[in-house]
Amino acid sequence: MIGKTAQRQGRLFLAPTVILLLCFTIFPLLFTIALMFGEARFVGGGLRIEFVGGRNWVRLFGDERFWNALGVTVRIVAMAVSLEYLLGLGLALLLDRKLRGQAVFRVLFIVPMLLTPIAVGYMWRMIFDVGRGPITGILERLGLAPVGWLTESSVAIYSIVITDIWQWTPFMFLILYAALQAIPKDYIEAARVDGASGWQVFRRITLPLLAPASIAAVLLRTIECFKIVDTIYIMTGGGPGRSTESMTLFGYAIGFRAFDLDYGATISFSLFLAVLVSSMVFVTLTRRLREVRME
Amino acid sequence: MYTLLLLWAVVVVAPLFWLITTSVKDKNDVFLGPKFFPGVDFTPTAQWWIRIFTVERATVLYPYLNSLIVATTSAIFATVLGALAAYALTRVRFKFGPMRNEDILFWIVSQRIMPPIIVVFAIFVMYRVTRLLDTHIGLILVYVVFNLPLAVWIMSNFLSQIPRSVEEAAWVDGASLTTTLFRVVVPMILPSLMSTFLLCFVFAWNEFLFALILSYSRTQTVPLLIAAQHFQRGPQWWDISVLSTLAVLPPIAITVGLQKYFVKGLIPIGK
Repeated sequence: MIGKTAQRQGRLFLAPTVILLLCFTIFPLLFTIALMFGEARFVGGGLRIEFVGGRNWVRLFGDERFWNALGVTVRIVAMAVSLEYLLGLGLALLLDRKLRGQAVFRVLFIVPMLLTPIAVGYMWRMIFDVGRGPITGILERLGLAPVGWLTESSVAIYSIVITDIWQWTPFMFLILYAALQAIPKDYIEAARVDGASGWQVFRRITLPLLAPASIAAVLLRTIECFKIVDTIYIMTGGGPGRSTESMTLFGYAIGFRAFDLDYGATISFSLFLAVLVSSMVFVTLTRRLREVRME
Repeated sequence: MYTLLLLWAVVVVAPLFWLITTSVKDKNDVFLGPKFFPGVDFTPTAQWWIRIFTVERATVLYPYLNSLIVATTSAIFATVLGALAAYALTRVRFKFGPMRNEDILFWIVSQRIMPPIIVVFAIFVMYRVTRLLDTHIGLILVYVVFNLPLAVWIMSNFLSQIPRSVEEAAWVDGASLTTTLFRVVVPMILPSLMSTFLLCFVFAWNEFLFALILSYSRTQTVPLLIAAQHFQRGPQWWDISVLSTLAVLPPIAITVGLQKYFVKGLIPIGK
């Protein structure tokens, strides 16, 4: 058993982390909530907030730009996360066997997720460039018409999604691959011996055993993807028009470009609510789905 | 099957290949339509790399130094504080009101969910009042906090897997938590401390939004430099390709070094 001194020391070990998190996340969150119901002005060296009630929220719900940014963000999340999951799962299944060059593939498949997003965004901006980019060059050689990847408002969002898929499929791959490696191989062999087909094994054994990892991976990626801003900032700046303006970019533009702190805070808080609500819906849905399966 | 694996490998490598080759293209090779293979359809040149390290050294060197200072310092603090907290959480029984150990751990880790754009308003005002805007300390503090949930989570995974018999024997003899931590545990977890440090380093090295809002010219970091060059120079692809290549080299090196640990270290996620 642990002694009294050690018990007391434990608090000291934990204290810095808890205090830092309180100062830099809980206090700021409360501050943001205060900002939403006020009008903020810098006076001398300080900040004055006057209480104005729900004005910022009324403004938010009547703001077309907000609905646009929310729609753009949700569309990016839906497209990117689902494709990343399917691709990541496919790659993990392909690589989960004895293969020559497995280690090389594994590193290659992980690399993009740790690269500086700003550099990745710039890289893809060059690649999607109509005049000098490689895609246009290849399309022309094949006799196809060039596509305005970043300059046509109906197409630009897909370019952002492609970039996100390139960078974040590795995350799905990594988690699903690790989970696959942890599945005891005799389950699958036993089913094989009993004459199950490859598809049956996948459908009845592998997929259910991967469910917890799948749920965790999709949930984490969804939460992260809602915050998307770096690549968009570099690739399109939210354009053409506002066709790729995400919630974070919108909040930044209002709060720190237009310096409308209180309205910017309202926008950001609505993003927080969106993240919270969609993760809760996702958790409830997957839980119910699994309960139905069990019965 | 190999075809599919190779196909995705090409998808991963081709954009990076384009980035790196663009950094050794002459102006005309960039402007006059796409050129693909060095030595085949264009002659590589090292002029932009040389220029970055000579004429342009002043503009480029400082952001890289800033990033290095901020990322290294913040990663050290995040790792050490994270390991201390994780050690306490896996060894000592806590009770703060209704919160037990698992609740505290969950609370810490869940702080990652909060989008940075929400907290940055308050931090901006806090820093303006305390004059921490555009300082190294300001950025370091934010990055420590931003990486702490990850560090605590990874370290508590490792620490809960270590057998406890030696530590327990030492506690019976009246040893303190500090003694067991430094004499018994730290030597066993040095590799995982290193991996945690490197991951925190990469995330701080890559971070953009906090830096964009909390620092101006003095503490400009690498992502800010790339974004600024992009808007100032527009189509000068060669220079920005050199800068971007330099930016992604440390993360690539770290991924290659850590690849085995990645697969092992992440298994607990699926449980």
